[in-house]
Amino acid sequence: MSDSPLRLPPKPKPSPWTVGLSLGMVVFTVVCARTVGFSFSGLVEDLGRTNPVAQGLVDISWGEMFSERSRRAFLETLQMAVIGTTAGAVVSLPIALWSTEVGNPYLIPRVLLRSFNNVVRAIPDLLWAGLFVLGVGIGALPGVLALFFFSMAVIVKLTADTLDGIDMGPIEAAKASGASHTQMLRTAVVPQILPAYSSYVLYDFELNLRASAVLGLVGAGGIGQRIDFFRGRGDWSKLWGLVLMFFLVVVVVEWLSVKIRRRLV
Amino acid sequence: MIRFDKASVTYPGGVVAMKDLDLEIGDGEFVVIVGLSGAGKSTLIRAINGLVPLTSGGLDVNGHDVPNLSAKGRRQLRAEVGMIFQGFNLVDRTTVLNNVLMGRLPRVPLWRTLIGKYPDEDIQIAAKALDRVEILDRAYVRATNLSGGQRQRVGIARALAQEPKIVLADEPVASLDPPTSHVVMKYLQQISRDLGITTIVNLHFLDLATAYADRIIGLRNGELVFDGPGSEADEHTFRDIYGRSLTADDTMAKQAAL
Ligand SMILES: Nc1ncnc2c1ncn2[C@@H]1O[C@H](COP(=O)(O)OP(=O)(O)OP(=O)(O)O)[C@@H](O)[C@H]1O
Ligand SMILES: [Mg+2]
Repeated sequence: MSDSPLRLPPKPKPSPWTVGLSLGMVVFTVVCARTVGFSFSGLVEDLGRTNPVAQGLVDISWGEMFSERSRRAFLETLQMAVIGTTAGAVVSLPIALWSTEVGNPYLIPRVLLRSFNNVVRAIPDLLWAGLFVLGVGIGALPGVLALFFFSMAVIVKLTADTLDGIDMGPIEAAKASGASHTQMLRTAVVPQILPAYSSYVLYDFELNLRASAVLGLVGAGGIGQRIDFFRGRGDWSKLWGLVLMFFLVVVVVEWLSVKIRRRLV
Repeated sequence: MIRFDKASVTYPGGVVAMKDLDLEIGDGEFVVIVGLSGAGKSTLIRAINGLVPLTSGGLDVNGHDVPNLSAKGRRQLRAEVGMIFQGFNLVDRTTVLNNVLMGRLPRVPLWRTLIGKYPDEDIQIAAKALDRVEILDRAYVRATNLSGGQRQRVGIARALAQEPKIVLADEPVASLDPPTSHVVMKYLQQISRDLGITTIVNLHFLDLATAYADRIIGLRNGELVFDGPGSEADEHTFRDIYGRSLTADDTMAKQAAL
C-alpha cells in the first residue's frame, strides 16, 4: 500500500450570503462608531490622564470589602436574588406548560399567555426596577419584584422552548391509561423537562445576582445601592472595594452553578 | 365484549382507514390483527380506546358506547383498557416503578399525583405487575438503563397495573430482535390466559401471528378480509389477506436468516 496523499473534493466557496453579511457587519460597526464619536486616539488620551476613578482602583479599600454595612448589603443582594428567583421559578413552570401545545389544548389562552410573556420579556430588568421604585418606594421590595418578573420572562421562555421538543410517546401512554390532563403533565411531561428547567433556574439566579448590582442604582436595594452611595460621594477607593468583592461573589456563585448545571443535563 | 357495528373511520384528508367493519371480540380472547402497512390495523386498535374517533357506525366496549362518550366517560373507558406501544413510550428519565404507576393514575387523587406520593396499595399493584413480567428487581432503575426487551416488559407492566379487562398492543415487538420478540409475546399470551384479559395485538410477522393467536383477523384497505382461528391460517390465507405472494420479509424466522 502506498501512502499517496488523498485528494479531497474541491472545497466549496463561501456563500455570497456569508461574504455579504460579514462585510455588512464591518461597515455597520464603523458607521455606528463614527456617529457616536468614538475614536481610539481619544480613548488612549483619556486613559493616560490621571483621574480620580482610576486612582481609586490603585488605593482600593480592602477594609470596605468586609465592613459591617457592606456585609449587610451583600446579604440583601443575595436574599433579593434568592427570593426573586424562587418566586419566579415557581410561577414559571405552570405558565411555561400552559403556553405550549402539549400543556394547553386551547389556542387562544395559549397565544394570550405567550404574548403576555413576550411583553414581560421585552421590558429590561432595570426598567422594571425603576417602575417598581415609583410604585412601592425605594428599598429591597421593588428590587425583588423586578427580579421576579425578569426571572419569569427568562425561565418561561427557555422552558417553553424545551417543551416544544419533548418525546410525545409518554404523553400518548398517559392519555391511553385514562390519566387526566394535569396528571399527564405531571407524570409524562414534567419528568422530561425537570433537568433542563432546574438548570434554567440556576442560570437565572446568576443573572439575577448580577442584575441586583445594577438595580441599586435606581434605588431598588442591595449592594448596588451602596455602590451608588459611594459613587455619589466620589469615594472611589471604597467603591472599587465593593466592586471587587461583588466580582468575587459572582465568580464563586457562577462556578458553583456551572458545576451543578453540568451534572443536571 | 367488543362490538364494532358498521364502523368506519375516514381521516381528515380523505383516507378511509376503516370501512363498514362488523366485528365481535369476546371476553378473554387473544386476537392477532394482520395486514399490509396502511391496511388500518393501528386505526382499529386505537378506535377501541377512543384515541381515534369513528366517523360513522357504532362501537361498544364492555358497555361503553365509545362514539358518544363524554371526556370523563372516555377516561373511565381508558382506565379499563391497557395499551402497549411499538416504541414503548416510557418516560426515560424516571424510574421503572414510576412508569408502571402511570397505570394507576385514574384511581389516584390529583394531589397525590402532584407530590408524587402514591398510596401503598397502588405501589403493591405496580410491584405485582412488575413481578409478573419478572423485572421487579429493576423497580428503582431509570427506564433509560434497560434493554429493549426489558423496556417492553415495563410497558406490559404499566398496562397490567391498570388491572385492565382489555389489553391493546400496537406492533409490540417491531423494535425487538427475534428471541426477545418471543419472550414478549409469551408474556402477553400468559397474562391473557392467567388473568382472562382480552388481548388484541397487531403483528407484522405471519409466523409470530400463527404461533400465538387464538384468532386471526385479516385487514385490507380498511376492510375485514379474514377472520378465523390461528390454526386455520396458512400461506394461502395470508396470500389472500395481502393480495400478493409472500416474501422473506413477512416471516420473522426467514427475515432473521437473511
Ligand atoms: N392521523 C392520520 N391522518 C391521516 N391519515 C392517517 C392518519 N393515521 C393513519 N392514516 C392513514 O390511514 C391508513 C391506515 O393507517 P393505519 O396506521 O391504521 O395502518 P396500519 O395497518 O397500522 O399500518 P402500519 O403497518 O404501517 O402501521 C393509512 O393509509 C394511513 O396513511
Ligand atoms: Mg400501524
